[in-house]
Amino acid sequence: MHVRILLLLAMRNLRRQMRRTLLTSAVMVLGGALLIFSFSLGDGSHENWIDSGIRTSSGHVTVEQPAFRVSSKIEDRLTAALRAQAEQALAMADVANEVVAVSSRLRIGALASSAAGARPAQVFAVDPAAEAEFSTLDDQVVEGRYLEPDDRLAAYIGAGLASSLELRIGSRLVVQAQDTEQEIAAQLLRVVGIFSNGVPEVDQAVVHIPLATAGEWLGSGQDVTNVGVVLSGSHAVGPVVSHLETTLAESVIRGDVRVMDWREANPALAAAIAIDDFGNYLVFGILFLIIAFGIVNTVLMSVLHRHREFGVLQALGLTPGQTGAIVLVEGLTLTAVSGFIGVTLGLVGTWYLLSNGLDMSALVGEEMTFSGVVIDPVIVPLFRVARIVQVVAFILTIGAIASVYPALRAARIDVAEAMKFER
Amino acid sequence: MTQANLPAVRTEGVWKIFQQEAEEVRAVRDVSVTIERGEFTALAGPSGSGKTTLLNVIGGLTRPTRGRVWVAGQEVSEMSNQALARLRLEQVGFIFQAYNLLPVLTAMENAEFPMLLQGVAADERAARIGELFARTGMAGLEDRRPGKLSGGQQQRVAVVRAVASRPALVLADEPTANLDSASSEALLDVMAELNRDLGVTFVFATHDARVMGRARRLVRMGDGQIDSDETRE
Repeated sequence: MHVRILLLLAMRNLRRQMRRTLLTSAVMVLGGALLIFSFSLGDGSHENWIDSGIRTSSGHVTVEQPAFRVSSKIEDRLTAALRAQAEQALAMADVANEVVAVSSRLRIGALASSAAGARPAQVFAVDPAAEAEFSTLDDQVVEGRYLEPDDRLAAYIGAGLASSLELRIGSRLVVQAQDTEQEIAAQLLRVVGIFSNGVPEVDQAVVHIPLATAGEWLGSGQDVTNVGVVLSGSHAVGPVVSHLETTLAESVIRGDVRVMDWREANPALAAAIAIDDFGNYLVFGILFLIIAFGIVNTVLMSVLHRHREFGVLQALGLTPGQTGAIVLVEGLTLTAVSGFIGVTLGLVGTWYLLSNGLDMSALVGEEMTFSGVVIDPVIVPLFRVARIVQVVAFILTIGAIASVYPALRAARIDVAEAMKFER
Repeated sequence: MTQANLPAVRTEGVWKIFQQEAEEVRAVRDVSVTIERGEFTALAGPSGSGKTTLLNVIGGLTRPTRGRVWVAGQEVSEMSNQALARLRLEQVGFIFQAYNLLPVLTAMENAEFPMLLQGVAADERAARIGELFARTGMAGLEDRRPGKLSGGQQQRVAVVRAVASRPALVLADEPTANLDSASSEALLDVMAELNRDLGVTFVFATHDARVMGRARRLVRMGDGQIDSDETRE
């Protein structure tokens, strides 16, 4: 059938019951706008969680010795040669534009002690310049300063640990840990900076020291326990993981190296995001189920009121399928137009928040931690073309499904009976 | 015999039986009739005589329970739904008692609707509609929606719609029943003129004496059967 006739009939029939059409359309516009707005905010806040989470742990992507994630022992470290190989792979043109920061670190469990006592600690031996790009801890100084490239026996410690061990800037601190010879080795350090991250587990345990100092102290030289990578966004994770696995294929196959994305390295954070996403999908699924009933109601009422008209159309030569197609196009037109307006409104609302974000501090306070991650109360929405396509496809699918039953009703009428039908 | 020489309609032993709860209603009983091209025929009879049902069977709106029906030489009794729809589009024009124009379309759009479905070119559509609107006195009312037309005017648009697609026959079910005398006469004049000048075959189901008076062939029905079949000159 002529597409022009289909669209003409659909548009005119929708205009015919303008009030009913507008009411259903308004619900769909609101639903579409809400969907785009909420998903953009949700995606923005998830990106914020991920960024915050990966910067205080091992990055969007981490290259490690396979056993290290479980053992956390210094013997399960990457050799200097493997570390260099990974760093070179990340500097390649294929992925370099997605790589924001690379920090090669040696992480070990240690005992930190001062005159006031002793506490378990997580020592991160880092290249200060690279780590400053990678982590946000250098910005969270409450006293003193972060590590500098020329530092030798310097320590940058959490406020909780400083408090427990009664340490101040300039105080001496001794850290003890197992070295590469499996002997207990001690290192005297001097506190150059104290930070407060907001996550108690971090503030009470983390100590940053120069990588060169750790190499001498533990006999590990330039070896590290992981090469962490911060990327331009979580969208780049897949390609970078593939690139590293390909470039380091021999070592990966031998079992010397494992490339992990943040989901593997931070399963709690990944689960928190998945649960939040599931909650959103559930709420919007229910919302759109209600909207779908609205569409069914509008289109079905229209079909029932036009019983005789469909009989006439078939008497004039339309097939049952073409008659059903008219109803389907009506439902889809209503859905598409309303969905387009709704998505546009949602995008405008989201765009309005792009520069300053949505400040939720009145509701959640200035600082909130979730799953070991500090959450910024200002949520900046994130536009994703894939998400917009997903929302549009979802709205159209709902419209199509909701129009199928009325379309079948129209297609299956008994023409002779329909002609008898009195309005 | 070429298709143009074949009768517009031929039925052979047609029965139509409806099941109404436990009761069997024999609406059409063993009807055999042939209607040649160019006829102006009325199926007359009281309510329940089976004339509308026979018209629906001929037009492919409902299938006969038994018997065979040919329209323009094509046997319709066993046709698929798709083929029946095609037959209605190409070979049959309908005029209904309640006009049954599509309320969302203008008079012009209603009239050209079957031709749009047939894929007739725009200039050809315009030429046919222009001529028929002029013949039926509807010129100048092309852009009006049905709601803005009188009953007589709506029925004239329905006549144009039925005729413009050049079907083998036009089936008119009580076309004058909702019209006053003057409108009925005017409508019958239009249809008689189209029959005479363009050779359009008309078959009416009616109990209106005016229609019966104008028909050149009068088939009287009662209890689903043909009681008499009279041709006049």
